[in-house]
Amino acid sequence: MSFKYPVVMPKMSMTMETGELINFHVKVGDHVKSGDILFEVMTDKIDMEVDAPADGVIESLVAEPGAIIEIGKPVLIMLTETEVMAFDFGSEEGETSQIIEKKSVEPVEVKIAQPTPAIVLNEKVKAVPKARTEAMARGIDIRTIAPSGPDNTITMHDLGNAQVDPVISARQKANRALVANAIENSRSIAQASFSRKVNSEFDIAMLIKAWAKTLRSRPDLAIHTDIGVALIIKSKYGSALPVFKDPDQISHDDLTSLIARTSESAIDGKVPLAMLTGATTTIFDLRAYSMNSATPLLFPNQITSLTIGDIGDLEKNISLTIDLNFCDFYDGAMLLDALIASLTK
Amino acid sequence: MSDRMLTMAEAIREAMSIAFDERPEVFLLGEDVGIYGGAFGVSGDMYHRYGAERVLDTPIAELGIVGAAVGAALSGMRPIVEIQFSDFTAQAMDQIANQAAKIHFMLGGALHVPMVLRTPQGSGTGAAAQHSQNLEPWFASVPGLKVVVPSNPADAKGLLLSSIDDPNPVIFLEHKLLYKIPGREPVPEGSERIPLGVSKVVREGKDLTIVATGIMVNKAWEVCEKLSTEGISITLIDPRTISPLDMQPVYESVDKTGRLLVVQEGPAQAGFINEVIAQMAGSASFGSLIAPIMRLAGMNIPIPYAPQLEKAAVPQIEDIEIAAREIVKNWR
Repeated sequence: MSFKYPVVMPKMSMTMETGELINFHVKVGDHVKSGDILFEVMTDKIDMEVDAPADGVIESLVAEPGAIIEIGKPVLIMLTETEVMAFDFGSEEGETSQIIEKKSVEPVEVKIAQPTPAIVLNEKVKAVPKARTEAMARGIDIRTIAPSGPDNTITMHDLGNAQVDPVISARQKANRALVANAIENSRSIAQASFSRKVNSEFDIAMLIKAWAKTLRSRPDLAIHTDIGVALIIKSKYGSALPVFKDPDQISHDDLTSLIARTSESAIDGKVPLAMLTGATTTIFDLRAYSMNSATPLLFPNQITSLTIGDIGDLEKNISLTIDLNFCDFYDGAMLLDALIASLTK
Repeated sequence: MSDRMLTMAEAIREAMSIAFDERPEVFLLGEDVGIYGGAFGVSGDMYHRYGAERVLDTPIAELGIVGAAVGAALSGMRPIVEIQFSDFTAQAMDQIANQAAKIHFMLGGALHVPMVLRTPQGSGTGAAAQHSQNLEPWFASVPGLKVVVPSNPADAKGLLLSSIDDPNPVIFLEHKLLYKIPGREPVPEGSERIPLGVSKVVREGKDLTIVATGIMVNKAWEVCEKLSTEGISITLIDPRTISPLDMQPVYESVDKTGRLLVVQEGPAQAGFINEVIAQMAGSASFGSLIAPIMRLAGMNIPIPYAPQLEKAAVPQIEDIEIAAREIVKNWR
């Protein structure tokens, strides 16, 4: 299964708005490995090489060398089979779709549909405030709704008959397929799960930090040199799995604000490119849903996975799944024990 | 539970009498409040019950009346001023806006002005432009004044007692047409206070929120009754104190109904009710609106003398009824 993935102009400094594309290191049809240099960009402050976020094939080069490109706008499109998610990367919707249409390489199987909205879109629509907030929450593009209210205003009644935005529903479907495919691949791995109740108060940043620290204390179990904690969060396009790299090395406050910012932009379907790869473990925090447990499943290339649930008051339930190819049963038990010990300290 | 039905004039007189009995420093002054019993009969027999020392007939000199009250308040008394028509407060505005409202702040909190200024307002009596105004925004726009607009006898009693207790100057605006009408609810015996700055949810419904002040609460009530037979259910909110203004019940109601109609007697331009709209537009409940906010207010003209024109210049029950039905029907 393969997926089109735009590699965009990265934001390299707080003030950066555009960057100049110096040159490409790849051409259409090249097979690249994650980490291979794709192109070089220049700003007034810094020059940088942009790496492939995953293994794949270069499908098309969107920009010309020498062009000034806004951050978040695509520079090239690659086809990939890894767990890179189906998200926008700050680019405007229509534009990305148009570029993706430019075929220049023999396509591998592409799963994303390119649906066209049923009616011509109004750029400026009048709608009552509640209709706007409701439409956003339901994933409906308000521009697709026919107004019946006074002065051609969209009312709540109009929204009642509206369909979910076909673009969003297609993205959700593709995204679900990616996650399911990843889990499907790792289902045959020999694995074991452990769980224990814990009586202590901690937020998600504390949990992520404690878990990274626990993993780092067991280099004998590591199959990766760095630690990347993927957090399952809700987004417009379905589950998003942004990766927090070496979270034990940054302060609790910084991590908390990074999680908040990431969650906020994920709601809108945008996850920073740099946060989509490098996961070595995954956490699913069920506390927001008042659930006490879910089956923690391993993602490919990860040997641990953690879920945390809410039992009531201060009581929580933490479950850990391990890959038995890399850990013994007692390693799993000791990992969970060490994590809980550091959380209850 | 008492089931006494009083008029607003009777309820206000009762509140003043309770305050007279509770505190020797409370007294009433104004034009014709003594032997005559007040231009609208509000003080009634109080002169005979409390004597000329506590119910003072003053000369026709509003600036002097309020000035005397501010001075008395600064020296430990609790004066209740009655200005015969709210239009005449224009004569006393320096004492009200520049002295009473500011002294506490300008003297670093060393002194305060526990004065209540009661005055009848509003149109409907055929008294023409200089005796019929609704001046709510004049007072509500002066920081340092509290402004109370009761819509019924029970509220008038409890709110007036709180106003007399209050250490700050309170402007108490009474509608002339309500003086002689018994309220829908009985007036409790005793001296129970109604706190200032707490809006009252008069009735609850799910289709529309109406915020109205003073006499408009009564007109809106009639509309709520009528439209309930057509299946339109309305929440009616009476802020009672327009400064400070309690918006919380309005937000909570609009979160449920999604529609807001505001009604005031005074002219639309720069009127008090616009403050309700402004705060709603800037609140988290803005996103709950399923209809544009609708405003009914007086015309931007001096109140005419001719009865038909006087009636046409301010919102009437039929106007509120049409507006309420329209907003519910057009915005679904």
